[in-house]
Amino acid sequence: MIALHVAVAAVLTASPTPVPVSVPGSGIFQSSLLLSLLIWAPVLVAVVIAVLPNPRGRFDTLMKQIAFFTNIGLLFILWIAYNQFESFLGTMQFEENVPWLSRIGAVYHLGIDGPGLVMLILSSVVGLASVLASWGIRERVRTYFCLLLISEACINGAIVAHDMFVLLLFWGAATIPIGLLVLGWGGPRRESAAWRLLGYWGLGTVALLGAILALYAAAGGNSFDMDVALRVPVSPRVQFVAGLAVIVAAATRLPLFPFQGWVRDVYSQAPVGVCIVVAGSATRLGAYVLLRLFIGAEPSGAQLLSPLLALLAAATVIYAGLVVLQMTDLRRVGAYLAMVPGGVTVLGLAALSPLAIGGSVLSLFSGGLAGALMVGVCATLAERAQTGNLQVLKGLAPRMPSLTWITIFAVLGLLGLPLMASFPAEMMTFFGAVKNQPLAAFAVAFGLAIVAASLVVIFHRILFGTPNPDAPGVSDASAGEKWFLGILAGSLLWVGMFPGGPKLPGTDTPIFDPGLVTSMAAGITEMAAPYAAK
Amino acid sequence: MLTPLAMFLLAITGVRTRRSASNLAMFGALASLALTLLIGWGLARKSAPFLVSWPYLNLPVAFSGPINFQSFGIDILLRVDHVTVAALVAVELCVLGALGWHRFMGRVEPGAARFHALVSLFLFACIGVLVSYDLAELLAFWGLAGVATYLLLAHRWSVDGAARSTRIALALPFLTDLFLLCGIAVVYSRYGVVNLTALVPILHTTPGATVKALAIAAVMLFVGVGGRLALWPVHLWVTRTAVDAPAAASAVTQAAWSVVAIVVLYRLMPIAGESNSQTLRALLYACAATAIIAPLLALASSEPRRAIALLGIAATAVAAAVVVRGFDTVGFTFTFAVAGVACALAAALARVAGILAASAIAAAMRTDDLAEMGDAWRRMRGSAIALFISGLVLGMSASGALAYSVPSGSKLGLVLGEAVLLIAVGSARIFLAIAIGPLRRRRAFEPDRVRDISAAALSWPYLLAFAGAVLVVASMVHGWLGFLDGRTHPAPNPIGYVLWIAVALVGFAAAAIAFRANKDGAVRASSQLGRAVDRSVWRAQGWAGRFMVGPAVGIAAGADEWSFVRDDALAVSAVGTGRLAALASRVPVVPAVIILAVLLAITLGLISPGVFR
Repeated sequence: MIALHVAVAAVLTASPTPVPVSVPGSGIFQSSLLLSLLIWAPVLVAVVIAVLPNPRGRFDTLMKQIAFFTNIGLLFILWIAYNQFESFLGTMQFEENVPWLSRIGAVYHLGIDGPGLVMLILSSVVGLASVLASWGIRERVRTYFCLLLISEACINGAIVAHDMFVLLLFWGAATIPIGLLVLGWGGPRRESAAWRLLGYWGLGTVALLGAILALYAAAGGNSFDMDVALRVPVSPRVQFVAGLAVIVAAATRLPLFPFQGWVRDVYSQAPVGVCIVVAGSATRLGAYVLLRLFIGAEPSGAQLLSPLLALLAAATVIYAGLVVLQMTDLRRVGAYLAMVPGGVTVLGLAALSPLAIGGSVLSLFSGGLAGALMVGVCATLAERAQTGNLQVLKGLAPRMPSLTWITIFAVLGLLGLPLMASFPAEMMTFFGAVKNQPLAAFAVAFGLAIVAASLVVIFHRILFGTPNPDAPGVSDASAGEKWFLGILAGSLLWVGMFPGGPKLPGTDTPIFDPGLVTSMAAGITEMAAPYAAK
Repeated sequence: MLTPLAMFLLAITGVRTRRSASNLAMFGALASLALTLLIGWGLARKSAPFLVSWPYLNLPVAFSGPINFQSFGIDILLRVDHVTVAALVAVELCVLGALGWHRFMGRVEPGAARFHALVSLFLFACIGVLVSYDLAELLAFWGLAGVATYLLLAHRWSVDGAARSTRIALALPFLTDLFLLCGIAVVYSRYGVVNLTALVPILHTTPGATVKALAIAAVMLFVGVGGRLALWPVHLWVTRTAVDAPAAASAVTQAAWSVVAIVVLYRLMPIAGESNSQTLRALLYACAATAIIAPLLALASSEPRRAIALLGIAATAVAAAVVVRGFDTVGFTFTFAVAGVACALAAALARVAGILAASAIAAAMRTDDLAEMGDAWRRMRGSAIALFISGLVLGMSASGALAYSVPSGSKLGLVLGEAVLLIAVGSARIFLAIAIGPLRRRRAFEPDRVRDISAAALSWPYLLAFAGAVLVVASMVHGWLGFLDGRTHPAPNPIGYVLWIAVALVGFAAAAIAFRANKDGAVRASSQLGRAVDRSVWRAQGWAGRFMVGPAVGIAAGADEWSFVRDDALAVSAVGTGRLAALASRVPVVPAVIILAVLLAITLGLISPGVFR
């Protein structure tokens, strides 16, 4: 009853920002444990799952249900936090600051601003979709869901960390459960995929470690806390070196050309649920770290290195568009296509203008969802058609109408066409990028045209035309598959239609969703302040 | 706007049968037309437009720097003026005509609910573009209309040919749409404004906004709009799908886009007008080139629907040239640019009527080859007359606009006069090839079984053709132009009318003489020309594939493979490290620790200060 009362009170007080203090129960979720809850609750549940007796897999379904309801619970908590988030505040919110390793200056400092909130929402939506996508897992269910929840916790930890040491720990830790998931539940080439993932992400972690140590040392070697270390003026030379290292870290994770070597194997070998976590939220951490440790903290280094970033963005989009034309496996096609939103995000960061940075933050969300949707669609199509061979797949649309429509949604989301969240994101990114990085903006636009041409060639071949009589039997998506793909597509559509939240005609106040774009503004103005005059 | 959207939502959520889907879409289009007429009635005696706006997105991004760039907002700004009402009526009539015709002639098409739902979505998006005065909002509706267009043209999913030919209907317009996006981005990057009403007055007063930037923006915006006007050489999305897509879908998308794009061009032209005369001249050349090349390609085409599509493109290109020419005057305070819009409205209706009539005839004669068609005047007189009227309207649609805006003795006048002549020849050629001469017996085809379509289906091409004729006549009346742009236009010299109408009539007469003398020879000559054009197009495509696409894809794939192989080396070294670690775990602990301690002590001793002193 108490829990019910708290839940009802929380729902009643979940009104869009700002929340008057006098509303009873308005602060109940602004406790100092909110962000810790998002990190440690999945870990706790993972431990519970790990110790739960499960003789001969009797409670496999229960484990899945526990993971599912944990994600629902996290989403509910986040929804409350989202509604109580104060979009006009430039400072960190829901902060937790506990002394930890005082000898080296590391503190357990958590907090979120607008971009952090966007990433948390992305992580929660992707987490829910990945659990649903993993519903078909039959082997070692307990271990699988333990690792999935831990990976989600690590990603959430890296998002909310406001101490560089904590960030590095969660960033590096995320590699391990994901690598194990690929290694344990992947396809025939899973070992190669897992090694590549560990190799590239390990390289990225080393680069990030180097960048963090450089910033730590340059700031006096007293504190890893971002509030301290990133506010000390650092020489442009150090900024340049640290920035280069952060770019390498981001490029291995996002990934950007030429650090994309892990993509092909991981997305084609890993289980669908893992692919969704990787493409949806784990990889977006690359751009998020770039934003937090480089663009938002080292303006001189950013000015020096922005042409390099722009070049990487353009090369990534063009490369992804061209290389898919040579692919013969559908899941690999999805793998390379999932690189495209990363290029758009980085273009916005390279532009160093407030609007483009805002576009990049929105693109983190939309790109994560679009990438996850594309990877999920390709994997589901390959699974339902019993082969991913593009020479065999042909004319599937009449036999899998639901998947065809979802595929069209995925294509629209990837290309940034209207009604999708990627549309305002791309628009803001391009509008902001044209002034400072005109050539890169046109190159990325050209790359998107190549991607569109590739998509048309490949998906026309697969979906339309006369069916191949020699192909294996085909079936449409199951209810579970429709649900997880629908959650991703629906989220893209919702934010695309109501970026500022749904409002009644004639009013200016959102009804129950304050609007992702409105909320993400908190923090962007401060991050983009050094570039506002340009 | 909301009526077709509601019909779309109803159709995709609950409708399954063909009849109910068709009724729903028809109701949506009819209700939109009625409401548009109501708005037009309201606007008839006032010049101020109706204006409604809602905030869609508002994001503060900076607290310092130029004030225009401190926040970014997109408003749903709906502005209805006289031009908008006329364009809306034209689009809604096109949609209604196509739906009415498809109701009878498209019975065998699969996925009726999907088709009608998409038509409603397309209508919603077109209305959205026409009433948008915020460029970001315009881009959103523009993209939505593009998606609906592609899905409509790709309606026959399971037919190989249709699936192949509709690929281009997504890729090519998407490329030009990106130009529109970049053009708007360039405008925003200089002015920080995307609202057209606010933008036009500050085009020359904003510091930092150079003529160069305006010229770049103008060219990009023109390419973006030109893609949807299907100007040469980006016309392929129209011509490749003209035969393989459902006739109603092809007709309605071609016609509606020509109206929507010409209105958008008319609204965006102040940006180009403020750039420089070289830019305007380049835009004019592009329009003029299309106006000449498209009817020449139509003359070389042996497929009637494709030929009509090309003639429609040519007529729209003439209209676009008139619009561009209208802004090529100092200050453009008094222009005839709106005459181009009036011309495009008439041509659009004739285009739909012509395609629908030609499709009915092609279906009845079971061929898409003009050389195999004939005798429609006797066997399908109703459809043949509809085709004739639509050809007549198409050929004469530009006369009024040209009489107002282009001196007949100028170079532009000569070029556009030639275009009008070619359009007239092409229109008459299609009618004559289909209507006269024998309809020969072929394998599995008995000419005596050819019958005209039902009166109910036939009435729609007639309605559209007559509406087009009315608009052609209206385009010659200066009061109509005055109504459209709210300015007073003096009537041109009557000799101008006579001259431009005479050019079209000469074209009709020339085609009639040629076909009367030797129909088979004329058709044979054009089909040989068509084969030569097709061969050269395929050759050019082959070269592009061989020397551009192939190497680019090869380089990308090579780079991918190279990195994959090099990664293997990384993986091998990682595995090696792992093996080393595994070996290390088997080493006896105590001796290993002793050895390590000794090694460490020696190292520390060596590097300690004072050892070598």
